[in-house]
Parts: sequence; C-alpha cells; structure tokens
Amino acid sequence: MIFDSYEAYRAANFKPKVCILGSGPAGTTIARKLGAAGIPVVVLEAGSREFSDGSQDFYRGSTVGDFYFDLDITRLRYMGGSSNHWAGWCRVLDKQDFEPKAWAPDTGWPIRRTDIEPYLPEVHDILELPDFRPDVPISDDIRWVQLIKSPAVRFAEKFADELDKSRNIAVVLNTYATELAGDGKRVTCARLWSNGQDAGSFSADYFIACTGGLENSRLLLWSNQRSNGGVVPNAAALGRYWMEHPTFEGGNAILANYGEFEVDAVNEAFFSPTLAAMERLRIMNFGIRLIETPYPGVKSLIADLACTAPDMAEWMSFKFSQNLRCAAQLYVAWEQAPLASNQIELSKTDVDHAGVPRIELHWKKSELERRTLVEGLKLFGTTLIEKDLGRVRLMDWIANGEDYPTNEETAGHHHMGGTRMGTDVAKSVVDANCKVHGMDNLYVGGSSVFCTSGQANPTTTITALACRLGDHLSKVVSV
Amino acid sequence: MSFFIKKMSRRTFVQALIALPALSLFRKLPEADVAHAGSSPADPNEIVEVNGWILKRSDLA
Repeated sequence: MIFDSYEAYRAANFKPKVCILGSGPAGTTIARKLGAAGIPVVVLEAGSREFSDGSQDFYRGSTVGDFYFDLDITRLRYMGGSSNHWAGWCRVLDKQDFEPKAWAPDTGWPIRRTDIEPYLPEVHDILELPDFRPDVPISDDIRWVQLIKSPAVRFAEKFADELDKSRNIAVVLNTYATELAGDGKRVTCARLWSNGQDAGSFSADYFIACTGGLENSRLLLWSNQRSNGGVVPNAAALGRYWMEHPTFEGGNAILANYGEFEVDAVNEAFFSPTLAAMERLRIMNFGIRLIETPYPGVKSLIADLACTAPDMAEWMSFKFSQNLRCAAQLYVAWEQAPLASNQIELSKTDVDHAGVPRIELHWKKSELERRTLVEGLKLFGTTLIEKDLGRVRLMDWIANGEDYPTNEETAGHHHMGGTRMGTDVAKSVVDANCKVHGMDNLYVGGSSVFCTSGQANPTTTITALACRLGDHLSKVVSV
Repeated sequence: MSFFIKKMSRRTFVQALIALPALSLFRKLPEADVAHAGSSPADPNEIVEVNGWILKRSDLA
C-alpha cells in the first residue's frame, strides 16, 4: 500500500510491527524482506513521489574543512531516495576492507565479507547485476578489478507496484520523522511532521533509521539531544568517522597495447592494490579508473614525454600510429582513513522548516590519504613498467605537491559512517546486527554503519547489509 | 670531407665546432627522483620520476 499523506494512512488503520524511516535502497530492501516474512511494516518517507525544491530544502546544510558539495544536491529527498540519481556502479567491498589494518587506526569491522556473501544472489536480483568475475592480479601489487555499470535501479520505479500491492507493507509519503523519543532502552515513539505541521507521535515495536549516510546521524543526534541521551545511550561516536570517496584525475598513461585489459562499454577499466602492497606502503585502498583517451590527448601526452624521454616517446609514437589510440586518463578514488574528527554536527544557528537543526559537516582529507593517492599512482606506474605495459604521468598538482584542485570531481557523493558498526561503544554506534548499542528496538540501515569505506561504490554493500538486517529482523520480530 | 670543409665559411665551421660538444654539454635533463633507494644510479631498470613521469632510467636515453 502506498499512501500520499499521513492522514490517508491513519484512516486505513494499519497496525505495523516495524517502522522504517526512509524509502531508499536500504529502507525499501528491508521493508520487502519483512513484508515477505509476513511482518507488517510501515515505511515513512519524508518526500513525495517526485522531486520537489520544497522537500529538497530540508537537506540544506553547511560544511567546514575541505571543499565539499552543497548538502542539498548530494542526495535526494523523495521516494526511492538517492537511488534516483545514482550512476549504477556496483562492486562489493573487498575482503580486505573488513580487516583491521595496523597502520590505520580504527579500521576493521565486527563482521567479515563472508557474513554478507550469502546475500549477494538477492543483491544481484535487486540491482540487476550479472555475476562478478574474480579479480585478476597483474602483479604482486596491483589487481585488475571489476566495477559493474548496472542499469542503476531506481528503487521507487522498480518496486512501487510491488509495494502498492503488498498487504504487509505501507509506504507513507510526505511524512517526516523529525525525532525519535527514547528512555535509554527502547524507542518509545517518533515525532512526525506532515502537511507542513506537527502530526503527533507514532509508535511501533521496532524502528529502523534508513534516512541516508548524512541524515541518520542528524536524526539520532537531534533525537538524543531531545531525549537526554535516551535514544543513543553510548553516543561518543555518534556522527563521527564520517567518510567519502575522494576522487580526482590523477594522471595519464600511455599503453603499449590497449588489448591488455578488457575495457567496459564506456572504455574504462579499474585497478586496485593488493593487501600486501597496502601493508608494505602503509596506505589505504584505492581504485584507479583507466579511461581510454581521445586522439588529441594522446598527441599532447607523447609530445610531453618527448621532452623527457625522446626514445620512449618515439617508440610510443610508433605504437600510436599502429593502434590509433594508446593513451588513457587515470582517475583515482580512494578509501578515507576513518577519523573521529570527520563528523556530522547539528548547526547551532540554522534549522529546517520543522525546527530540526541542519547539518554542519566537518570533513578533511588526511596525510595518509594524500600518500595513498601518490603512492597508488606510482605503484600503478611501476607495475606498467615492470610488466612492459606502458608508462604513467602524474598530474602536475600531484607531482609538485600542490593542494587538491577544486574544479574536479572531488568525491563520489558516497556518504559513509556516522553511526558505524563495532564492538567498542566508545568508537561505534551499532553492533554487528546494526542494532544501536544499549537499545532493544532501534536499528540503523544504510552506509552510515560502514566502519571503513573501502574504495568501491557503496550501494551494492548497502543492499547486501539491508538483506542481512531484514533476515535478522525477520527472526527477531514476532508476528 | 676536405671538399665539404672548404665549401663552408670559416665562421660556420667554427660555430659548428663550438655547437657540437655544447649539444651534449647543455642538454641537461631534469633531475630524476630515484624511486627505489639503494639501486645503482646506472641501473637501466631503476624507476625514476621525471617531470611527473614514472619511468625506467633507460627511458631517459
């Protein structure tokens, strides 16, 4: 059932066991799992069926530190959430992403990759993915990895009909849960805002926050402040360890033979380090996106090489004439070191129309990450030399140690952390089952539970974790 | 050879003599950052960074 207003929902007299906040990939997936298990569930979606400036305005906020996107353009507030604008790139976090790393504090998850692997067949159905091929090592240091460009499932479009027909799932649009109230053991109710005004309180046996990688922290910070710590009793890490995937053009490559790597439909191939290389260089994970370059870029690159290595340039020119194209742009996206200082705070001066403080995002890239970028590109360059595959040139700003440019991709619009998973209540918010520490009936879905970000786009892992949480709740919630 | 020299003006000949050694003398390559410490500077497989390029020393010929 889908209701366009809270008033219409109330008139239906539906009695849910579980209340999910947010209808993005995590919220929709968990709702479908619970509905299939015969558990009545309500999904409260703050936005409507379509994008609107008025709804989006609730997402405005500010950033402190490194340049970042406006917070109201980096996510979407309507049915289906940010699946409405994702690019569809899919890859599960690597096995090594779940492991603690001695050279990077506060890394390591309380679960392993094997804990989500049983859910990957479901994820493939949901996201319409072919099977992933295994990584291909091209040296002891570098893996040729696969990032599937999926059809970019819009969750609202794909599942609206199924949700509308379901007798166990009620999706309520235009209904904003402004805060949760709790007594330090349980969430007792949610305060709602609908139709431009306070809509009273709402009760259910279980609550699951799936409002996104920024908004989950905001909701819980505000709720906890209003309930004097009654919603997140152990709140030391709440809002902290927030992460993105910084993304910049890192350089170019001249390749001996385009045929060495099978590129995808848009002429791209992806490369990541082995765990051994990360350990040796003491760097984080990264992904190099190799994009075959159009003809004019190749000529200028070879001309530049001719100034430094004339014979090599001559050989490249020969290859160039043989292959017509033989160069590539290299974009790098990397894993951020989890830092408590990268955090979501509540603005002290700015609130949304419902009176909820807006987000003040504190975000800064670290020295470890800069080293990951530089050493990662050098590692890739060295590997191409050792395997006689080509040569790499770093962008000037990297070679010269200059600041990050502000006119590039900057980051992936991937919002991770803030309510991270863990066993140490001082450094995490939820346990291995995504349940908030100390609370009996409050769970969190989505990438805000990520302990580390890896280098892969998060939606595949978000969906796998949502399937896992849905399965867990199906066993916990009594009908 | 003597015919060729006779045909050249004295000024041209002197300029050529000056210029030839100068070509190699003044053809100064940018300083290379040695990527692998401990390698012999003469090792043709040594990885060097020059003008942002990640190269083998033998590439610098």
